[in-house]
Amino acid sequence: MFGWNGRILRIDLTRGTNWVEEMPTYLMQEYIGGRGMCIRILFDEIDPRIDPLSSENKLIFATGPLTGTGAPAASRFIVSAKSPLSNCIANPCCGGYFGANLKYAGYDLLIVEGKSPGPAYISIHNDRVEIRPAEHLWGKLATETEHALRVDMRLRDDLDDWALNTIGIADIGPAGENLVRFACIMSDGGRAAGRSGLGAVMGSKNIKAVTALGTGQVNIADAEGFRKAVMGFYQEGRNNGELIKRRMYGTWSLPGRANKSKSQASLNFKEGYSEAFVKYEDPEVIRKLIRVRDEGCFSCPFGCSKRSRIKDPEYPKTAKGPEHESMALLGSNCGLGDMEDICRANYLCNELGMDTITTGTMISCAMELYEEGYLPEKDLGYPLEFGNRNMFKLLKQIAHREGIGDLMAEGGIAFAAKYGHPELFMGIKGMGIPAWHPQAFDALGLQYATNNVGANHTKSTLPFYEGRKDPAHFVEFTKKDQDYLAIADSGVLCWIIYHGPLWGEKLSEWLTYITGTTYTQETLDRLGERIWNLERLFNLKAGITCKDDTLPPRITKEPRVKNRVVDIDRLLQEYYEWRGWDKKGVPNQEKLQELGLEKEGAGVI
Amino acid sequence: MRIKIDYKKCIGCKQCEIVCSLAHTGTVNPWRSRIRIFIREEFCLPVIAGPYTEAACNSKGMVMVDGLEVDGCVVCRASRPTKSVYKEPDTGIPLKCDFCGEPPDPQCVQWCAPEALTLIEE
Repeated sequence: MFGWNGRILRIDLTRGTNWVEEMPTYLMQEYIGGRGMCIRILFDEIDPRIDPLSSENKLIFATGPLTGTGAPAASRFIVSAKSPLSNCIANPCCGGYFGANLKYAGYDLLIVEGKSPGPAYISIHNDRVEIRPAEHLWGKLATETEHALRVDMRLRDDLDDWALNTIGIADIGPAGENLVRFACIMSDGGRAAGRSGLGAVMGSKNIKAVTALGTGQVNIADAEGFRKAVMGFYQEGRNNGELIKRRMYGTWSLPGRANKSKSQASLNFKEGYSEAFVKYEDPEVIRKLIRVRDEGCFSCPFGCSKRSRIKDPEYPKTAKGPEHESMALLGSNCGLGDMEDICRANYLCNELGMDTITTGTMISCAMELYEEGYLPEKDLGYPLEFGNRNMFKLLKQIAHREGIGDLMAEGGIAFAAKYGHPELFMGIKGMGIPAWHPQAFDALGLQYATNNVGANHTKSTLPFYEGRKDPAHFVEFTKKDQDYLAIADSGVLCWIIYHGPLWGEKLSEWLTYITGTTYTQETLDRLGERIWNLERLFNLKAGITCKDDTLPPRITKEPRVKNRVVDIDRLLQEYYEWRGWDKKGVPNQEKLQELGLEKEGAGVI
Repeated sequence: MRIKIDYKKCIGCKQCEIVCSLAHTGTVNPWRSRIRIFIREEFCLPVIAGPYTEAACNSKGMVMVDGLEVDGCVVCRASRPTKSVYKEPDTGIPLKCDFCGEPPDPQCVQWCAPEALTLIEE
């Protein structure tokens, strides 16, 4: 078989067993991999109305046909389950080395079911799959866990130095253990499958970590052609300014871009501009200030991720990040204007295993509640106006569910409602809004509001690119881009590289070389649309309605940025029409027929 | 001719390992590669399986790279048969760099976008 392994590894934690299943052909042909396969399996196997933190929820780690093949920037793996934060489908993606290792171990998908009786970790070394006790890891921070696991593996599996640094690890920090609803699954010392709170799902199953090490191979249909195509692509890429910029600065070029265009989330989205960030508008300044080295994910030569240094002796010598989203949400959005402070906050979130974006909006919400006098100081135990460094204390409280942190760990909607002002939480479907202020670009507001997983930056495209700024076309582009990203997430290709510097044409090219089946852009668009619609059906069955496809009143009613508001009601109706959905956002019969989803739609429409 | 390694430019993407395996075996498997990247927190170290020399083993022990201690045996490029890395995973046969044929056209250099590997005349 080319591209895929055609094998699914299933682990039943309740019984402590594991077995391998053959991958059905239709799953590969019609859902490609990653995100597509995940939604198909979850739709078939779990009831969308279950409690996400119960043992009935299933956690899937998925790779795609491109993972581990060397296709540029095909490093990612998808983690999927029902989200405890939004109650929608969740499918965050994460870079690093885990996905490729799972593939080389011989599996396309890892499905984790049930609940382990005690703390455990899953070790996958080719055909040797074990559920091992993890009492000694419980309570450890994310990178501490990784170090401890490597020591464990050296002893138990007799691995040499190279094998140990090749290994892929996905783990949770204390936040995941304590079922914080926006906990991440961390990987490779600071990467995260961040949005949607799947760390809590992993914690609810008592699984501290999954390690993968594979020494197998991936077969490529046209190996010669593929090798030459990638080589040609790199030769062209040497002169591509956008790609060179990615390697130099990663996402650090974005704070400047956002701040200059007045779209940097600031002070709980009250503003789109931060005075303190003016000094960081030139990415070279940030690079000089904190960068240690560039870090590429597996098979990604663009290396946009950066390792950075904080001078504070209390923190380790080097750590990953922060990316633009973390800088904005933990930084300008909370009133922090110093890069060292932002690095500290980012480091704490990573180690505790919390989504920096939702955490940022939670803290800024608490800050605004405090400043307005709705949140009394006695509940906090300390003052918390914008920019106050007491937020570091609050971060730890949330992860350990201490004091007010216990309530905040339940998510922004519950927290803001308790203090009587649910409108001050800047989130959609419970998930915090990412860095770009929606009022700066209507298209972005629409993308956040209609996203199947909530306000997600990895599943929306920035409106800088051709045609997307034009109001006459951006609703159409919103649909197109969403379908495109659904299929890119199924490949699995990195959205950072494949939206912006590169668009879809490469995806079909790589897929054709690797799998030996010819994919055209039209086929892929249709498959992407089907994935999107199936996710929508899952959400509808879970009880999500068109009322949830909305933006906070601050975005739709108060003109904060560029003196504009987002007219979400009008945009939504236009969007539903483009999608072939009715006025309530339910796919209509013709659309489902066209996509071959009539059976799945039964009971919803 | 030799392959010059500038480890400071290496980002640890392992594309060299992938293409090495692809060019030599037609499949993708970093464990079949004649070049290996050792990833450390502050730097990455590409090491090519070069010819075996007796003298290389005299420097066994820890060596300093950029102020950090690294196991000398790990960064040594001699493809000594007793070394655990650089072995074909199924058969255990030791691997050695062949510069991808004659004239030399090392694929790892072709695929190294950050240009940590370059082919130089010497």
